[in-house]
Amino acid sequence: MNAPPAFESFLLYDGEKKIEIKKDTKVPNAAHFTVNKEDHTLGNILRAQLLKDPKVLFAGYKVAHPLEHKFVLRVQTTEDHSPKDAFTNAITDLMSEVSLLEERFKVAIRDKQQGIE
Amino acid sequence: MVQLADETRNKISLKENRIFDVHSANLPGANPGQSNHWDFEKFKTQLKINVIKIDDTDMEFDLIGVDAALANALRRILLSEIPTMAIEKVHIHTNTTMIKDEILAHRLGLIPLKADASLFEYPLDEDDAQSSENTLVFKLRVKCTQRTDAPKGCSIERQLNNSKVFSGDIKWEPLGDQANSLSDVRPIHSDILIDKMRKGQELDLVMHAVKGIGKDHAKFSPVSTASYRLLPDIVLKRKIVGEQAHRLQKCFSPGVIDVCPNSDGEEEATVVDARSDTCSREVFSHADLKDAVELYKIRDHFIFSIESATSKSAEQLFVESVKVLMSKCDVLLKELDESEQKMES
Repeated sequence: MNAPPAFESFLLYDGEKKIEIKKDTKVPNAAHFTVNKEDHTLGNILRAQLLKDPKVLFAGYKVAHPLEHKFVLRVQTTEDHSPKDAFTNAITDLMSEVSLLEERFKVAIRDKQQGIE
Repeated sequence: MVQLADETRNKISLKENRIFDVHSANLPGANPGQSNHWDFEKFKTQLKINVIKIDDTDMEFDLIGVDAALANALRRILLSEIPTMAIEKVHIHTNTTMIKDEILAHRLGLIPLKADASLFEYPLDEDDAQSSENTLVFKLRVKCTQRTDAPKGCSIERQLNNSKVFSGDIKWEPLGDQANSLSDVRPIHSDILIDKMRKGQELDLVMHAVKGIGKDHAKFSPVSTASYRLLPDIVLKRKIVGEQAHRLQKCFSPGVIDVCPNSDGEEEATVVDARSDTCSREVFSHADLKDAVELYKIRDHFIFSIESATSKSAEQLFVESVKVLMSKCDVLLKELDESEQKMES
């Protein structure tokens, strides 16, 4: 009876931005990134990629409530790096990983099909 | 528990009551003298993909050297974010059958359609007028009548025409110039039972199919299932012979442990195929075999299994899921760049 429409989990409202950035005042060089209308699919891989960066001191994400479709990613870096740069680098690294995966997958499929023939 | 030896570093150990070392310890700064920094070249050497089985609809392949987060993201996207076409609106002109209107409409929505969703656009809003770019129109008109030539005393179903309505009775009505650009648009399987009727009952429906994703409704999910499991690893710590060897064989799935005569003439157990084990850990319920075996799972070796429920093959769906992930990352990057430009200006 009170169920919200299913499309609300991936369509942005009017005026809602995809990413909202808030500086964390409690510690230096930290920021909260709120990504709207996304879930663990993106949150987990971004967090895992950020943890592999040696300049990142803290990286964690949470989906605060399952009925609110967004996640908050908290990043803290060393003084010479900014959280936003770390975030941007993580996304670019991910994209290169994923495109390599796509290439290798297509090669593997081709090899298998040629092996059959 | 700390894993020190290099070859066990990427293994998850399964003990009797607990699982250890689930998360990778290979983070920057974790081990002195070891740089675990993200390195694309290192990733290139570690990434391996082996296709095990592939046919028209299903596929099984190994994804090695990837993070669990990435494998899970691809699995989640396969399940819920790849667009497909499915029946959304059903205009019911006549339904005198025993199945209620809304139940019938629900069943029709779940029927998989043979249409490539990438050729269509998403419908703009709820009451958007149907157009040839975003809708497919199907008709279902079936009437159940008495057969005049049925022999006496045979079953009711044999005496009737169209007592069962199958998905093969759904006919496509091309809109606009769809007849030229699309061909062979129909439900994938023609033997799905939709409804049963008796004499005089009739179905007259017009159905509109639109593009959607699994997150909106499960009928739009393109896979019957997409799952992965980790590669198991079984290590025998001592020689196991005779009656114990046969018992050990029974503890694992068939084909995992082989018992053959060794050089001393006794029957010895060896691990032949750890991959097909389903990791029931049954061996820990035997007091004498508990200490003889160590069970592991390899942390970065994913055995993916994808079964397609659309006209696309499983490998096309995987490639699409990778593209969806790339476009999500693209959107995020663009937003970050825009917000940076706004802050500068």
